[in-house]
Amino acid sequence: MAAPLELSCWGGGWGLPSVHSESLVVMAYAKFSGAPLKVNVIDNTWRGSRGDVPVLTTEDNFVSQPAKILNFLRKQKYNADYELSARQGADTLAYIALLEEKLLPAVLHTFWVESDNYFTVTKPWFASRIPFPLSLILPGRMSKGALNRILLTRGEPPLYHLREVEAQIYRDAKECLNLLSNRLGTSQFFFGDTPSTLDAYVFGFLAPLYKVRFPKVQLQEHLKQLSNLCRFCDDILNSYFRHSLGDG
Amino acid sequence: MSLVAEAFVSQIAAAEPWPENATLYQQLKGEQILLSDNAASLAVQAFLQMCNLPIKVVCRANAEYMSPSGKVPFIHVGNQVVSELGPIVQFVKAKGHSLSDGLDEVQKAEMKAYMELVNNMLLTAELYLQWCDEATVGEITHARYGSPYPWPLNHILAYQKQWEVRRKMKAIGWGKKTLDQVLEDVDQCCQALSQRLGTQPYFFNKQPTELDALVFGHLYTILTTQLTNDELSEKVKNYSNLLAFCRRIEQHYFEDHGKGSSSIRLS
Repeated sequence: MAAPLELSCWGGGWGLPSVHSESLVVMAYAKFSGAPLKVNVIDNTWRGSRGDVPVLTTEDNFVSQPAKILNFLRKQKYNADYELSARQGADTLAYIALLEEKLLPAVLHTFWVESDNYFTVTKPWFASRIPFPLSLILPGRMSKGALNRILLTRGEPPLYHLREVEAQIYRDAKECLNLLSNRLGTSQFFFGDTPSTLDAYVFGFLAPLYKVRFPKVQLQEHLKQLSNLCRFCDDILNSYFRHSLGDG
Repeated sequence: MSLVAEAFVSQIAAAEPWPENATLYQQLKGEQILLSDNAASLAVQAFLQMCNLPIKVVCRANAEYMSPSGKVPFIHVGNQVVSELGPIVQFVKAKGHSLSDGLDEVQKAEMKAYMELVNNMLLTAELYLQWCDEATVGEITHARYGSPYPWPLNHILAYQKQWEVRRKMKAIGWGKKTLDQVLEDVDQCCQALSQRLGTQPYFFNKQPTELDALVFGHLYTILTTQLTNDELSEKVKNYSNLLAFCRRIEQHYFEDHGKGSSSIRLS
């Protein structure tokens, strides 16, 4: 029988089981593939790691990063892509790359860089779940990491300016959302009637953007206009996460 | 570019037809250019060939610094300068030429997704191999990157670029990857491309699009560039339909026009 699988991840709020995109991707995949995961939400005790979250631990294994965790689960025979054709598998990789290149910078910006959002929502939320005195340091570090990632991948060397990049990343993100909406159409999931890895990734990236209440919401407003993507998130939340909704 | 500047450029672009003297700038072909830049440049050349737009390739040692975004290649058309494949495709579209007009919305989404896949995996792997793999850096990259400049500038520029690329790798989570993991990612990417291509001549059946140009640029360069070992090109050679694809585009778009610079044989 499978050894107990424990997942350490950031907790939930606003109706989501987790507010952190990567944690949400892993949780969703586990639900889709039927993997029995024991979820350990990070709270403000000193127990548990905080770096490199989400982390999957089994008796003798320690896996971090969503892509590796999903690979690990697949090797344990928890495979949500069982019914996909080779070409659909290839499409999955391509769409995940699209999400990471086009949507992720704007999501990171909305959560961690936009000052109104960061100081009123993100920082207090994370700081309340990290023990003092790390709560003073870690959110700032995460914010800097996000800013770095945006500038280094989108900015122009050698002087990186956020202003020039901001307009571009939001435009790319809106285009990406439109593309996803076009691809999803009226189907329930991206490949037919059963959810797969791609659905887990799209859900993981979109759900926090959709549900978390921010003061500065231009990307969220755009997402709310794409009703099929909102329906997609709501469906998954209702079908797979109804019994385990976290509190704020 | 800001939104206003881009709209402005599009307006101007639309006003004039494609001139005869359009030029593409890249680094020096023999001694300086690196794998990733060569791939990007070849992708743009292939795209312009597919659109039937004449372009002259000019090699300059300081191409990287002349470029408005710091990346090569860039094209000089009329009195405008546009760099990188994405903006060049937009610019060419504003002039009324497009390869992807016949695609429907879902196909366009797929095309964009696969282009991001190539950028995300292949291009990053090429950069990793060039700048983070000690053997390649020592033997090839440093010497090539700094070759047009006198000492000590050649060392300084090479180290500066290496530091920049390493920072970027760390920011996107590739800093801790080993070479084997990177090669595996390349394999996964090639497998996805091979599965998507299947037995069709181009990715969207009969007509090539910018995706075909981009894939051709990268794969062809990987196959024909001499590195410290052959592992990277071996990964690509595993997929026979990708090899056939490269040969087909080379024959169709490069040999017919007698372009000496690109008629390197695929072994």
